[in-house]
Amino acid sequence: MFGFLVKRLRYSLLVLAGVVTVVFFLFNVLPGDPARLTMGQRSDKATVENARREMNLDKPLLTRYVLFLNDLSPIGWHGGDSATRQKYGYIALLPAGEQCLALKWPYMGRSYYTKRNVADVLGEALPGTIILALSAMLIATFFGILLGIVAALKKGTWMDTSAIAASVAGISMPSFFAGLVIAYVFGYLLHSVTGLNMTGSLWDYDPFTGRHLAIRNLILPAVALGIRPLAIITQLTRSSVLDVLSQDYIRTAYAKGLTTGQVIFRHALPNALNPVVTAISGWLAELLAGSFFVEYIFGYKGVGKITVDALDKFDFPLVMGSVLLTAFIFIIVNLLTDMLYSFLDPRVKFR
Amino acid sequence: MNSDTVLAVSNLSITFGGEREFVAVRELTFGVGKGKTLAIVGESGSGKSLTALSLMGLLPPGAAVKGDIILHTHDKALTLTALKTNSDWQPVRGAKAGMVFQEPMSSLNPVMRIGKQLAECIRAHQQVSGDEAKKLALHWLQQVQLPQPEKLYERYPHELSGGQKQRVMIAMAMCNHPVLLIADEPTTALDVTVQQEVVRLMQYLQQQHNTALIFITHDLALAATIADDVLVMYKGEAVEYGTAAEVLRSPKHPYTQALVACKPSPEQKGLKLPTVSDFLDADRSKAAAGVSAPVTTTVGVDAEHILEVSNLKVWFAEEKNWLGKPTSYFKAVDGVSFHLRKGEVLGLVGESGCGKSTVSRALIGLLPVHEGEIRYNGENLAALPHKEWPRIRRDIQMIFQDPFASLNPRMTVGDMLMESMRVHRIVADSGLKTEACRLLDIVHLPADALKRYPHQFSGGQRQRIGIARALALKPKLIICDESVSALDVSVQAQILNLLKELQHEFQLSYLFISHDLSVVHYISDRVMVMQSGKIVECGEAEQVLKRPENAYTRRLVAAIPEMK
Repeated sequence: MFGFLVKRLRYSLLVLAGVVTVVFFLFNVLPGDPARLTMGQRSDKATVENARREMNLDKPLLTRYVLFLNDLSPIGWHGGDSATRQKYGYIALLPAGEQCLALKWPYMGRSYYTKRNVADVLGEALPGTIILALSAMLIATFFGILLGIVAALKKGTWMDTSAIAASVAGISMPSFFAGLVIAYVFGYLLHSVTGLNMTGSLWDYDPFTGRHLAIRNLILPAVALGIRPLAIITQLTRSSVLDVLSQDYIRTAYAKGLTTGQVIFRHALPNALNPVVTAISGWLAELLAGSFFVEYIFGYKGVGKITVDALDKFDFPLVMGSVLLTAFIFIIVNLLTDMLYSFLDPRVKFR
Repeated sequence: MNSDTVLAVSNLSITFGGEREFVAVRELTFGVGKGKTLAIVGESGSGKSLTALSLMGLLPPGAAVKGDIILHTHDKALTLTALKTNSDWQPVRGAKAGMVFQEPMSSLNPVMRIGKQLAECIRAHQQVSGDEAKKLALHWLQQVQLPQPEKLYERYPHELSGGQKQRVMIAMAMCNHPVLLIADEPTTALDVTVQQEVVRLMQYLQQQHNTALIFITHDLALAATIADDVLVMYKGEAVEYGTAAEVLRSPKHPYTQALVACKPSPEQKGLKLPTVSDFLDADRSKAAAGVSAPVTTTVGVDAEHILEVSNLKVWFAEEKNWLGKPTSYFKAVDGVSFHLRKGEVLGLVGESGCGKSTVSRALIGLLPVHEGEIRYNGENLAALPHKEWPRIRRDIQMIFQDPFASLNPRMTVGDMLMESMRVHRIVADSGLKTEACRLLDIVHLPADALKRYPHQFSGGQRQRIGIARALALKPKLIICDESVSALDVSVQAQILNLLKELQHEFQLSYLFISHDLSVVHYISDRVMVMQSGKIVECGEAEQVLKRPENAYTRRLVAAIPEMK
C-alpha cells in the first residue's frame, strides 16, 4: 500500500512537472505585453520599463523558467527582505545571508488588474466550485445508478426504454444549453413557485447582514451541471449491470438459493459498479476544474467564472494559475480513484 | 419406483420459443437413487447441460419445460416442474439440490471473500448466527480437503487455483446436506491429475452423505469410472440409458458405438480414426473399414533435423528496480532442449502453467528469448533481426486452441485466407481466389465458405479454417497449440485425421502441444513431458507413455480415466 502510494505520487509529480513546463512556455509565446497590460495603455515608457524589470521580463527565458519554478515550489529560495516576504507571505525555514529557504503557498503571480495574489483569488473561488461539483456529482451518481439499475432489471419494459431515451437526450444536451433552459424555466418563469433566482453565488452579500450562505443558489446550477453525468452514469450502470447479470457467478448465487435481492445487492452490484466509479471520478475531476459555462450563466462565483472573466481581460497570471490548479486537481482525483479502485476490486493490486 | 429414488424425471422436454420453435431436449426419462451416480454423456449441443439446469430452475429465459421432475427429499416429494419464480425455487436450490458448474474460474464472485460466499450459502438455508455460519463454513472447507481453512476463508477467488476453486464450489453445493448433487462438467477445465483428485473428493462426500449424484461429462471414460448408470444424449434425445457396464461394453446405439470408437487410443496409433458420421451413415461397412489404411510413415532416426532448440530460456521480469532493470524473474521456460526431425510429429505434454505454450510462442518469435538457441534449418531464430521474421513465419505456422477466438469475426473466410497469401506474395493476385478454393478443398470445406463469416461455422469447421489459414503459406513446420482440445470427441477425431492426412500429403512436421495424453499418444512419434518450465522426459511415444520412467509422467499417465 505504502509502496504503491509512493510510486503513484512519483508519477503524479512527473505529470505535474510536465504540465508546469508546458504551461510556462505556452504563456510565454502568447502575444501581448504583460508589462503594458499591468500598467494600462496610457502609462509612459519608463513606468512600463520598471514594471518589466519587476516582472523579470528583461531576463532570458530559461532564467525566467527557473524563477517561475522557484515561485511555484512550496519550498523555495527567496530574498530575506521584508518586501519579498510580503510578496510571497512565506515562513522562513533556514536563513542564509540575504536569502533564505522558505515555506509558502505556491506563488503564481498577481492579477494584472486587481493586483491580488492569484493563489488568494483562486482559493476564494475554489470552495464554491468544489461544493457545486460535489453536489452535481452527488445528484448524478445517486439518480444515475438508481435509474441504471432499474433499467437493467426491467430490461425491455417501458421503464427501460424511457430511461434510455431520457439519458440519450441528457447526453446530447450541452451544459450551457441545459443551464440556459433551467435558469429561464425555474429561475424566471416559475420563480414564484420555486423561489429560486436566475443568478447568484453560494455566498450572498447583504448590505445589512454581510456575507451569508445561500444554499438555494446552488440548486439550479448543480442540476444543470449534473444532467450529462447523470445520463452517462445511467447508461453505464445499465450496461454494466446487464453484463454482470449474465456472468457465471450470478448463476452460482441463484443456485445457492439466495433471494433475488441478495443476488442483486451482494453479488451483482459490487461487481457492476467498478466501471461506474471510473466514470464518476473522471467527471468529478472535470467539474472540480471549474464548470465554465454553468458558473458563467448562473453568475455563480467559482474557478470557472473567474477564469472566463480573466480570459476576457487577458489576465494571464490568473488564467495560468487556473490551468495549473486544474491539472493539480486532475492528478489528485486520479490518485484517489486508483486507490478506491483497488479497494473495490481485490484483483487490482497495489502495485 | 423404489423408495430409494431421489430424483425421477419423466418425459422432460425443453423447448425454446420464438418464431421457429427449437426443441433442445426431447422426452427424457431417467432417475437416480440415494447414494447412486448417474452420468449424462454427450457432446456440446446435445442438451446435457440444459437438462442439468432444468433440475435447478436455472434455464435461460425463453426456455419452456414440459414433463415431470420429482425430487424426493427426506420427508416429502417435491414437483420441481411446478416451481416458477425465484422465490418458489429458493428453498430447493442449495438446500435440497446443490450444483457445481464447469468453469471454476468464473463461477465464484471475484470481489467477495471465499469464506463469506460459503457462509452466505449456509445462512440462506439454516437458522444460524454469523459466528456459527463461519464455524460451519470452516468445517466445510476442511471437508473438501483444502489446506489452512482459516487463511482460505479470508482469500479472494483469484488467489486460488482452479482445483481449489472447484473444491470451494463443492463445499458450497454440499454444505446444506442436499439429497441431490448435480455436477455439470466439473472437471473439464482442470488438469488430469487435479480432475482425479476432485472426482475422488466428490465420490467420498457422496458416500459420506449418501447423496444422489448426477455427473455431466463429455468424457465417456470418466463417466465409466464413476457412474452406476449412464445416459447418453445425442441431439437432445437419450440414445442409450442403462448401467455403466452395459452401455460401455455393448453399446447398442450407433452414436454410443462411435463415441467409444472415436476416442483416440494407443491401439489405433498410425490408423485413421473412425468418426461419428462413419457410424451414423447408412453405409455401415465404412465404419468397419474405418480402422484401415495406415496414414503414417515412420521417420528414420537419421532424418534431417528441421528444428533444434538448445537450452531455451524464456523469463519474465517479476520485479524491477527504479531504473526499470529486472531484479527477479518468473522462469516460464527454463533451459529446454529438443530437436524435431523432418516429417515427424513431436508431442509436448504437460499440465496448465508448465510452460508449453510459452515454448511455442518463443519458437515463432512472439516472445523474447532470454537465453538459448532456436535453430531452424541451421539458422538461429533467437538472434534473428526483426525484419527477417516474415520469411521464417512463412515456414512456421501455428494452429491455435480456440477456434472461436482466433478468427477475426469481421473478416470473411476468403479474406482471411487471401490476406496472408497476399502479404507473403505466395501467388499472383489473379490466382488468389482459386488458391483459396483449393485450400478449402484440402480441409474438406465447400468453396462457398469463402464468402461467409466465422460465426456461420461450427467449432470443428472453424478449426478447419484455422488449418487452411496455416496451410496457405505452404509451411514446413506447423505448431499445433492445443488445437483439438476445445473440440468434441467426434470432431476431434475428424481434425486429427485431417492433420495426419495433410502431414502425409505435404511432408509437414508438427510440434503437437496438448494436455491430453491419449491424443498426443495417438498422433506423435516422439513425446516430451514438461513440468514447471523443464522437460522431464523425452522419448518414443510408446516408451514414454506406456513405460514412463519419470515419477511425474507416471502420475500423469495414472490419472487418465480408462474405460474398463
